[in-house]
Amino acid sequence: MDQGNTAWVLLTAALVLLMTPGLAFFYGGMVKAKSVVSMMMLSFGSLGLIGVLWVIYGYAIAFSNGGTKTFLGIDGWFGIDTDYIGLAAQVKDAADPSGAFPQLAFVAFQATFAIITVALISGAIADRAKFGAWMVFAGLWATIVYFPVANWVFNFTLVDGTMVDGGWIVYGLGVIDFAGGTAVHINAGAAGLALAIVLGKRFGFSKGITQPHNVPLTLLGAALLWFGWFGFNAGSELAADGIAAVAFINTLAAPAAAMLGWILIEYFKHGKATSIGAASGAVAGLVAITPACASVDPMYAILLGLIAGALCALAVDLKFSMGFDDSLDVVGIHLVGGIVGTLFIGIFGNGVGAAFGFGWHQFAMQALGAGAVLVYSFVLALIIGFLVEKTIGFRVKAEDEIAGIDTVVHGEEAYAFGADRG
Amino acid sequence: MSNDSATAFLIICSAMVLFMTPGLAFFYGGLVRASSVVSMMMMSFGSIALISTLWIVYGYAIAFGSAGTGNFFGLDGVFGIDLNKLFVDDVYRQALSGESLALVVAGFQGTFAIITVALISGAVADRARFGSWMIFAGLWGTLVYFPIANWVFNFTIVDGKVVDGGWLVYNIGLLDFAGGTVVEVASGASALALALVVGKRFGFAKGMHAPHNVPLTLIGAGILWFGWLGFNAGSELAADGIAALSFINTMAAPVGGLLAWALYEKFVVGKPTAVGAASGAVAGLVAITPSCAFLDPLWALALGAIAGLLCAFAVELKWKLGFDDSLDVVGIHLVGGIIGTLFIGLVGNNVGLLQTGTFDQLGKQAIGVAAIGIYSFVSAFVIAWLIQKTIGFRVTSTDEIAGVDRVLHGEEGYSQSDPRWTWKP
Repeated sequence: MDQGNTAWVLLTAALVLLMTPGLAFFYGGMVKAKSVVSMMMLSFGSLGLIGVLWVIYGYAIAFSNGGTKTFLGIDGWFGIDTDYIGLAAQVKDAADPSGAFPQLAFVAFQATFAIITVALISGAIADRAKFGAWMVFAGLWATIVYFPVANWVFNFTLVDGTMVDGGWIVYGLGVIDFAGGTAVHINAGAAGLALAIVLGKRFGFSKGITQPHNVPLTLLGAALLWFGWFGFNAGSELAADGIAAVAFINTLAAPAAAMLGWILIEYFKHGKATSIGAASGAVAGLVAITPACASVDPMYAILLGLIAGALCALAVDLKFSMGFDDSLDVVGIHLVGGIVGTLFIGIFGNGVGAAFGFGWHQFAMQALGAGAVLVYSFVLALIIGFLVEKTIGFRVKAEDEIAGIDTVVHGEEAYAFGADRG
Repeated sequence: MSNDSATAFLIICSAMVLFMTPGLAFFYGGLVRASSVVSMMMMSFGSIALISTLWIVYGYAIAFGSAGTGNFFGLDGVFGIDLNKLFVDDVYRQALSGESLALVVAGFQGTFAIITVALISGAVADRARFGSWMIFAGLWGTLVYFPIANWVFNFTIVDGKVVDGGWLVYNIGLLDFAGGTVVEVASGASALALALVVGKRFGFAKGMHAPHNVPLTLIGAGILWFGWLGFNAGSELAADGIAALSFINTMAAPVGGLLAWALYEKFVVGKPTAVGAASGAVAGLVAITPSCAFLDPLWALALGAIAGLLCAFAVELKWKLGFDDSLDVVGIHLVGGIIGTLFIGLVGNNVGLLQTGTFDQLGKQAIGVAAIGIYSFVSAFVIAWLIQKTIGFRVTSTDEIAGVDRVLHGEEGYSQSDPRWTWKP
């Protein structure tokens, strides 16, 4: 066991955990003052629920491998290792770790990924979702979609730098997705699109009608997301080495360029650069560099950031022209940004990209992996969301939505200013 | 190399724990009235300034002084001071000669002292004078925290056995990995004393004290949770398997607490609140603090859920019993700390009732809780009472009603107006 690697994995896990509260602020600032509590609780609720599920059986699904007597299911697709339930096998390892770091450190690191992926979806249903219905959806989606998809993409075995076993996307197709462009961002974005369709539009949904109630809160959230994302990307190397340093610098370069890309588009379209645009641009760049952070040089990270920032700035207007209310742009930023980043590897990835004479094979595999996760997540989220809607109902009543849902759903008001001054 | 790694790990964990005190300021700040948020946050920031100073000057020398050095004065393991450790001099000299870990441990432990003192301030929201609070903080740090840190955190291990140390950890055999007694029980018991001395706010009644800024409280809870991972995992003082176990448990217990509190509110009170979810997470974090290295993750989940439920009940006590522990330091930190510390005696690996069939460890845990709870409560009561009788602890009633920020700090937490355009002569 190496203390340096252990420290690295544990501390980057802490950074990624902080991203989910950060996301709650990022989303919370963008909604109405009367639904900010609800918006933030969708994230904090995911934190609570997915954390519990991960410890009990999530890790056992996501990181189980065939070949052991305790494995049930189809290797690389969907299975569970009963010896991992409640992390029993991982706790034994902690007494005398066999690898470079204790398995429990990796369990913790991956737990934070599951949590934030679920929380990301909530941006599609701002201002109008019931908390209980969201929690039911979150638990089902994580179990049926996230845990297996994490297995497809993140579960692999390396021997002497060569992959010898793993999930069907990473091992079977050979898709390169360093930190989760498919499993996290395309996954969450596609589910967000499905939920936006299931729940329908907010009352009075049209461009320019909805204003962020607290811009500094959104900027604080964006800053915490960026801070945590260094752990997300550089930590995915699972060692503090040269590749981690490449991932880290690219996690600086891409969002910076994407921020510029986004505000340039805003400037040319509307004449003004907005702070929400700058924050969204940074997030778009972070999303796009997530799969690619270990595969591109920093100059190409800047190019990717510019492309992602500009494309996402255009993509967030789709919801108005196409008429789906993806309220906080989970589709426009995470789905589009995730696809851009994942495909970019096929063109400019070191050692694989078509631009460097390696042909279009990797690009095709990237597209196949991205498409598979997109379709699987979208279809299942649509079915789960539809079932929740038809049984317990996903959406609050019309009058509650108009009044603002915080007092109705949580019995709280976010702010009480001036109330004590008489 | 491995020493470098441990040093890096602990420096970053220390930074995370230091960040918890501003996080606590946000957590507490969002819960009070808009006209006393500055005062509330300043009690935490004041603790950072004062307790760090005291820690470096003599706090470390009291908390980590041991007999046998020739420069030690006092009663070994109970209350004493090692003059060589004043100004963290001995560990500083070790660091200069290349042994950096001891100095980092001194810094790490300093951040614990800071947050423990700051935690108490939740009991006196909306009505405490800043100067009186600072005097209380300094005296309490000196007479309570520094010695009890010695009782529990100061020990020498040889081959996995404690061979010397403070009386609770060495003589009694208390297991408290990261401070369930020293940090949580001590701050909770002292908060109860302070609430009794300072008295109730005007109009103290259930439902009359709405938080002025819920998002601010959630920011605080998020930062506390982040820092707590450093608090618990860093307490191993090395990045190894036990640190990883502590880390995953510091995720498992708060998620259990968050869900349990939210479910309790949903099915008993009617609606799950965001403040309840945040409080449930903090209750789980408190309970796992002493036990994070001694439990399997499933037990950590269970402990978090138990702590979340019991603390959700416990925060109602102040209305029934009539003490104004404004921000529930008693209901969360005292109660959660007791639950977490005793839980080790029930299901702790290799020591709990469940595995050994004896109440041996549970008895030791109970002695630790009682000793620290009683000592902190009595000392805090006496210190606060003396301050109340001499310079006064509480603002005047008119100032309290008007809101303490303008009176104490000459500031307002929020200003919507631009004085240039609204100024009237």
